Amino acid sequence: MSVTKNNIYKFLSSLRLAIFLLCFIAFGSIFGTVIKQKAGAEEYLSLYSDTTYTIIKYLGLDDVYRSTWFIAAIVLFAINLTLCTYGRFARLIKTEGKVALPGESELSAMPMAFRVGNNERENAIASIKKGYQTIYEGEEGVVLQKGVISRYGVYIIHGSILIILIGSLIGTLFGYKGHITLRKGETKDQFILRGVPPKEAPLGFSLKCKDFQVSFYPGGEPKDYVSKVEVLDNNRAVMERDIRVNSPLSYKGINVYQASYGASTSFLFTIAGEHVTLSERETYEKDGFIMMIARFENSIHNFGPGVLVAYLDQGEPKAVWFLKDVERLKEQKIQGVNIKLEDIKEDFYTGLEIAKDPGVWVVWTGFALILFGLYVNFFIYYRRIYIRNTPDGLIIAGMAFRNREGFKEEFEKLKRKVSGNGS
Amino acid sequence: MDHKILGVVTLLYLSIFFLHVLYFAVKKEKILSFMWILLYVTLGLHMTGLVARWAESYRLGIGHAPLSNFYESLIFYAWCIGFMLVILKKRLTFPIITMMASLIAVGFMGYASISSSVERKIQPLIPALQSNWLHIHVITCFVAYAAFVISFICGLLYLIKWKNVVPPKEILEEINYRSVMVGFPMLSAGILTGAVWAHYAWGSYWSWDPKETWSLITWIIYALFLHARFVRGWKGKRIAFISIIGFLSVIFTYFGVNFILSGLHSYAT
Repeated sequence: MSVTKNNIYKFLSSLRLAIFLLCFIAFGSIFGTVIKQKAGAEEYLSLYSDTTYTIIKYLGLDDVYRSTWFIAAIVLFAINLTLCTYGRFARLIKTEGKVALPGESELSAMPMAFRVGNNERENAIASIKKGYQTIYEGEEGVVLQKGVISRYGVYIIHGSILIILIGSLIGTLFGYKGHITLRKGETKDQFILRGVPPKEAPLGFSLKCKDFQVSFYPGGEPKDYVSKVEVLDNNRAVMERDIRVNSPLSYKGINVYQASYGASTSFLFTIAGEHVTLSERETYEKDGFIMMIARFENSIHNFGPGVLVAYLDQGEPKAVWFLKDVERLKEQKIQGVNIKLEDIKEDFYTGLEIAKDPGVWVVWTGFALILFGLYVNFFIYYRRIYIRNTPDGLIIAGMAFRNREGFKEEFEKLKRKVSGNGS
Repeated sequence: MDHKILGVVTLLYLSIFFLHVLYFAVKKEKILSFMWILLYVTLGLHMTGLVARWAESYRLGIGHAPLSNFYESLIFYAWCIGFMLVILKKRLTFPIITMMASLIAVGFMGYASISSSVERKIQPLIPALQSNWLHIHVITCFVAYAAFVISFICGLLYLIKWKNVVPPKEILEEINYRSVMVGFPMLSAGILTGAVWAHYAWGSYWSWDPKETWSLITWIIYALFLHARFVRGWKGKRIAFISIIGFLSVIFTYFGVNFILSGLHSYAT
């Protein structure tokens, strides 16, 4: 490697960079929590001055977590973490193979050391070896260890963070989010894909809302939202389930969540002898005849509820009121087509969130591994015991790299056990 | 019933605080051993109060663990602080730490039962909270928050000079590190269980909701603490400062987000 390449590698794998990036990410995220995210221009201008808004827009502070600088920091962090972890891991592996038994004077200088006479030798070695792994055995003595996995804890944690980042990348690249609203009895095979602008997209199957129920506690707080939904694949019912908050439906890798609900009004018409259910702003079209529900009013001059139906008369937009409770205005002819307003129904619709995230299992794996790594790293500690033959018996010394206090207690117990026999 | 028990518990934490004051006045070791016994009794009674509230919620027909609103979280937080003292008892030979911790516990208990902005009634669980993830998520988070209280106290004491009261610096650093060692894995577990729950409840394991973001910021600060301490060998004041900043971030994650920022985690009533 040339000098500059080496320098770049050193920089990219340094802890200094890691600390800087973590501070940068933490500090950058704060902006996303204090500045409203992904709002419209008017909303920002009502809160901030023109100049401030320009700065916000320029720095991407209206969508911090998707801004170039934020993502760049995370990517750089991932590279830094990989190199940093790899470098340390390689060093650990190198030293792992080299086990040496220190000399007698070195051992007796260790803070935890004691000697045993010749007659307790066998006994002492046998009882110390219990629960410990022998990593070196020679003429001059033995080296024992315990909790070696804790030395890998850090690498498991760092590796898991990378796995989680990879999982979220998979989700970002191959996943999507959207929503769908369904009235009772309605079937849809399209949903609104989230994006700018949102657009319709095929679901790959159909969802039919068979029922929707909201229940409340006596005090008025919402208790349960349940959508009874049927999944139709190729017009064949394949699944029927209740979707609740905290209990989504999952089909072909797509999750369907209970997200919201609302009330909608639907209008039952008989148009040229055919029964039709329409909702506000919905258009009806058949044999060249087009009409649209333009507006709904609960009460029109004490005449009761009415529906304003719009249509085109030779290119001119026209509208006519249908009043449910007025016999004369209930049934009218538009361009020769007989239209009758049969009923107006107030009904709930359910709002379902659609999400596909193929990376979620990768993320879960990362979660499980990081918890394991944290446990190993913080609750298990590595310790070594050296036993060396001396002319008049053994010298036994212990060493822990962390939790020295805890090991001291264990070592004292061991000492009492070993030297307690006979002495 | 539960309010009465928790009222007594608040007074007991206050008594524990004053026992420390008494100790510093007369320096009798017996007071400290009595203080620890009283702390155990208080923790037991505190738990009884929580269980009574739990039972009461079932009597009201809306049965759920008392971990669901701001009031309940404050009460549980105070319990966790006491619990953390018991976990670290062996190392807490200097009473100033237990003294400050008991004062903080009194603060949370008192705020929970006096403040007008805290709803003390047992509220039914809204659909988003009806999940088994609620318990493990709340418990791990608050055990972590409580561990960070101890870390904060150590950080603060580090900066104060007060002979015979403030423990030696090495001991403060050791306890500080011990508590972060409990707090950091617990906070990680709290964030992860929250993420899994969010996946099932909101359809996304991470949505940069202010609470999520601030918990990540807190996590990063304590990750920096651990790396500064173990890899770069930072000691002394700098570590003390990090634990103070870390705790400020905890407080903002817990209170600030609820009161100042709005988001999906708005259960603070």
